[in-house]
Amino acid sequence: MGPLVANGIISENTNLLLAFFIGIGFGFVLESSGFSSSRKLAGVFYGYDMVVLKVFFTAAITAMLGLLFMSLFGWVDLDQVYVNPLFLRSAIVGGVVMGAGFIMGGFCPGTGICGASIGKIDAILFSVGLFVGVYFFAFTYSWWEKLYKATPLGGKKVSDALGMSDGLFALVLILVAMGMFYAAEWAEKKFPREEY
Amino acid sequence: MNPRVILAVALIPLGLIIAAVPANKTKQFRLTAPELLQETATGSQFMQPDAVADMLVKNDPSLQLIDVRTPEEFAAFSLPRAINIPLANILSDEYTDILNQDAKTNVFYSNGTVQASEAWMLTRQLGYTNNYVLEGGLNYWFANILGAKEPSSVNPSEEFAKYDFRKSASAALGGGSVVASDNNTAPAAATKPPVANKAKKKVTGGC
Amino acid sequence: MAELTKKEKSKRYLNPYLGGVLLGLVLLSCNFISGRGLGASGAVKSVVGASIQAVDKKAADHSLFMAEFKEGHGDKPLKNWLVIEVLGVIVGAFISGAVWGRLKFRVEHSPKITSQKRLLFALIGGALFGFGAQLARGCTSGAALSGMAVLSLAGFVTMMAIFGTAFALAYFFRKLWI
Repeated sequence: MGPLVANGIISENTNLLLAFFIGIGFGFVLESSGFSSSRKLAGVFYGYDMVVLKVFFTAAITAMLGLLFMSLFGWVDLDQVYVNPLFLRSAIVGGVVMGAGFIMGGFCPGTGICGASIGKIDAILFSVGLFVGVYFFAFTYSWWEKLYKATPLGGKKVSDALGMSDGLFALVLILVAMGMFYAAEWAEKKFPREEY
Repeated sequence: MNPRVILAVALIPLGLIIAAVPANKTKQFRLTAPELLQETATGSQFMQPDAVADMLVKNDPSLQLIDVRTPEEFAAFSLPRAINIPLANILSDEYTDILNQDAKTNVFYSNGTVQASEAWMLTRQLGYTNNYVLEGGLNYWFANILGAKEPSSVNPSEEFAKYDFRKSASAALGGGSVVASDNNTAPAAATKPPVANKAKKKVTGGC
Repeated sequence: MAELTKKEKSKRYLNPYLGGVLLGLVLLSCNFISGRGLGASGAVKSVVGASIQAVDKKAADHSLFMAEFKEGHGDKPLKNWLVIEVLGVIVGAFISGAVWGRLKFRVEHSPKITSQKRLLFALIGGALFGFGAQLARGCTSGAALSGMAVLSLAGFVTMMAIFGTAFALAYFFRKLWI
């Protein structure tokens, strides 16, 4: 049955229309959870607000379990679902640069857009910064091309890399996440900030 | 109630179930039975041997002949530049890229048409297109392409044209008998076929 | 109007676990419908590429980046799943802000720094993030979150790199936040 587009159940244009509504859902949930606030987002790095950790892992696990169960019932064909390919070096270097951007800017692209949308000027500037960064990348591409294309490892899955089944990995992730949630509640009590 | 507790009660059992139950590895059928029946009724899965011979003579790179017989039969004789995917192994993952793609025209052949048609049915069920069956199989090929017989003088000119074409094709393709001999133009292809250059348009995504 | 206390403020945000489940459901339906996950930074790339193309029609001839962009995006780079999804995100966030009463132009910053400083760092952070997202082929939504949902190794690697680096640098930038 799923994915609906790949199996021809809905057309490409319907897919684009639905993308809009999916985006609305995404933006609504992000903003409602407080991800439009840079101080809430940065809180995960100082202990006073662990919303990023809680939402992130809960969301990943919910979607992961959903997909695995749907595959089990034959409702979705996981071979047709996009698994983003790993280019080891550029993923790590890019991730490091993004981490620096995160702690300085207090946003990531998705949350920055949300913040900009409700009028946060720092988020607007962050989004402007995103464009600056991408233009820079585009105009200096020849410097980075080699790094960008290095070490292609394809759409590898974590479960394959660790040598366990998808389901077992999901279970492990759930247990790890639950542990992190308890640690998160402890951290929020230990490093409170009254107003932000 | 504490949300963490609710979450734990919900997620951990689900996690245990998904870890314990083996994954669903069945390949889904893309066509319904009536749809498949309709396609076979039109006969559109067949490719005429003359057309195939023409492509071979012209060295058309978009043609890929696939021999679905056993490796032994393949080694004994095979059509030019054919690869061997034994029917028993046709569902194996290693051949998916060759069978499921948009770039090349795959033509299954076997001695008759039974095995090749079975191969076509299976791959069509999986939703693959661009696969065809060599009408008549190798038996027809030998009788009529490689061993083309001159039509008698009362036949219409198209028959003569066909004969001329087949005669020159058979010369180009090394007309010979079924018996394994060194005259075979078919190279002893390795049993592991090469991966197609362009795989079918995969799902895109990413940020 | 008196300043809301933290308790009152937090009541106006969803419980994070509930938010996580809802977000997971959005992500799940996204995968079920279109076979791909959510994203954000890719839309920026599409807009950048489209703007360069609009200004310089033959950009693909002298820029490798634009040549590859053209190959990937074709003639209508803005008629693109991600761009439309991001438009939805803008609308969705706006609706949420309206519902919860958070629509207001302001600069959010720690009381220990000036708002100018905050804006400067927001800009710098954005530039770094935009650049890094191009290199890593994704950001926290596209690579990390969506990647983790499909068990992608790239997703985990990118996520660990982002959060690991941010944690490591947190001490040096603490004045910005606490």
